[in-house]
Amino acid sequence: METRDIISTGNDLAAIAAVDAGCMFFGGYPITPSSEVMQTISDLLPKIGGVCIQMEDEIAGVAVAIGAGMAGHRTMTATSGPGISLKAENLGLAQMCEVPLVVVNVMRGGPSTGLPTRVSQGDVRQAKNPSHGDYRSITLCAGSLAECYTETVRAFNLADRFMQPVFVLLDETIGHMHGKAVVPTVEEVKKAIVPRKKFTGAPEEYRPYGVGADEPAVLNPMFEGYRYHYTGLHHDAKGFPTEEIETCRKLIQRLEDKVMMHTDELELNEEFMLDDMTGEEGEVLIIAYGSVSLAAKESIRHLRAAGIKAGLFRPLTLWPSPEKSIRKYTDMIKNVLCVELNIRQYTEEVERVSSRLDIQGLFKVNGRPISPHEIVSKVKEVF
Amino acid sequence: MARTLMRFTGVGGQGVLLAGEIFAAAKIKAGGHGLKTATYTSQVRGGPTVVDITLDDEEIFYPYANDGEIDFMLSVAQASYNLFKNGVSEGGTIVVEPNLVHPTDEDRKRWNIVEIPIITIAKDEIGNVITQSVVALAIANTFMKALDDELLRGVMLSKVPAKVHDVNNKAYDLGKKYALEAMAKLGM
Repeated sequence: METRDIISTGNDLAAIAAVDAGCMFFGGYPITPSSEVMQTISDLLPKIGGVCIQMEDEIAGVAVAIGAGMAGHRTMTATSGPGISLKAENLGLAQMCEVPLVVVNVMRGGPSTGLPTRVSQGDVRQAKNPSHGDYRSITLCAGSLAECYTETVRAFNLADRFMQPVFVLLDETIGHMHGKAVVPTVEEVKKAIVPRKKFTGAPEEYRPYGVGADEPAVLNPMFEGYRYHYTGLHHDAKGFPTEEIETCRKLIQRLEDKVMMHTDELELNEEFMLDDMTGEEGEVLIIAYGSVSLAAKESIRHLRAAGIKAGLFRPLTLWPSPEKSIRKYTDMIKNVLCVELNIRQYTEEVERVSSRLDIQGLFKVNGRPISPHEIVSKVKEVF
Repeated sequence: MARTLMRFTGVGGQGVLLAGEIFAAAKIKAGGHGLKTATYTSQVRGGPTVVDITLDDEEIFYPYANDGEIDFMLSVAQASYNLFKNGVSEGGTIVVEPNLVHPTDEDRKRWNIVEIPIITIAKDEIGNVITQSVVALAIANTFMKALDDELLRGVMLSKVPAKVHDVNNKAYDLGKKYALEAMAKLGM
């Protein structure tokens, strides 16, 4: 794949990636530490005929972005945890109506307004279920500058494939750090875009929600002659409210199955220094994601230099979690340490998937990063 | 080259962030790896700000400087000096603006404290206080011998509008001159 170098910050790379991936609309409301995403895209979009609009609040910000998605455009909003709390109701609407949308969340300390300028991974659980009801979140998480670009591009492609909101989790460290990212060229990005499915038959035969049991809705852009209805209520094949028993059951089961029966299309992991693991005594598996994985990689260099065979498993798709891969490594390696900038939010998922209750954890919730030395000390202390 | 860790500290609004970006970009241009991270508070202006700069020939993962491993720090505000000085290794160099930062006697025993009136130089000799970040950039590079001067200067100039190239060139030259004088005095 042809690549190019960009020297920038994670937030700027997410904005650049969105435009390269064909995003034509951004609606939002600035919030630290995500504001630069909006600032940068507000500069880029008008130059290509796109629209960036700052609304009166977070709720309106996501509402207009969903509207652009209904109109058929690739669309995005960016915010931080407190903004997701406000957007939750509309994110539920987008899940129910099956409107594709990319939501970048640059995580800061919480709950509530928390620590605006500090790093955290406290929104991992929130990303799984921001709104009530049954649906499956697709949540990606960038662990390097380059991934702020590539995961944003992937999010747009997945949003159109699965017809639903896709989260890209960044955190304050990744969003604001400045350095070199090696990313695909614009041509490579454009080449890989698969346009959203469209119905081309007679308008009277169009059934946007009348699709297969594990398939997403086929929503033609509004204003092109194909009439249908959007509602947050349970709805029939044309989108009109219904309480018919089987239609209601099938709709929600389909929201579940359209994701969970295709997890192989979603899974993406990094396996760092795991190829020489054999399951011998003394081996250490570290599980981390986002900026914490940077400290974990540095700690593995130190641990290996001290004769401790350690490696990192890092999911890039957090939700749905990579169950088989987590099980593979937690079955093989006895000493497992999860490192997170929250309290057990993903560790509990690792416990669930592995059926192990002896997973060790290193957690921090004071807005400061976890250093490589802290991970090294923890490994030496608990194993 | 082993890893070089530098830290610039000040208060929000002084422009210490840009100096970090320039360092990282110049190192990348030279074919190595450079990362800049900044930490600031939720105060818009006046809150303590710290910028960590990591330069290495090898890939850098963790972007922050580990406490106790920083080779060089530059500070133009007392509050941030107090907060962040302990990151500097024993015997490491700390350049302070003597009108704004007053190290203790203890500090002077622990670190190589160098006083250069960065803000006065920018304000009075160059005539534009905003150039203090370029003065700081030149001082840091002269002490650390981190990068080729002309490469760093070129990247710096690429980040500022053409109409202010002259003042920024002057700021770079003066920063270097003051740093060399201070180093000569210390026998460095």
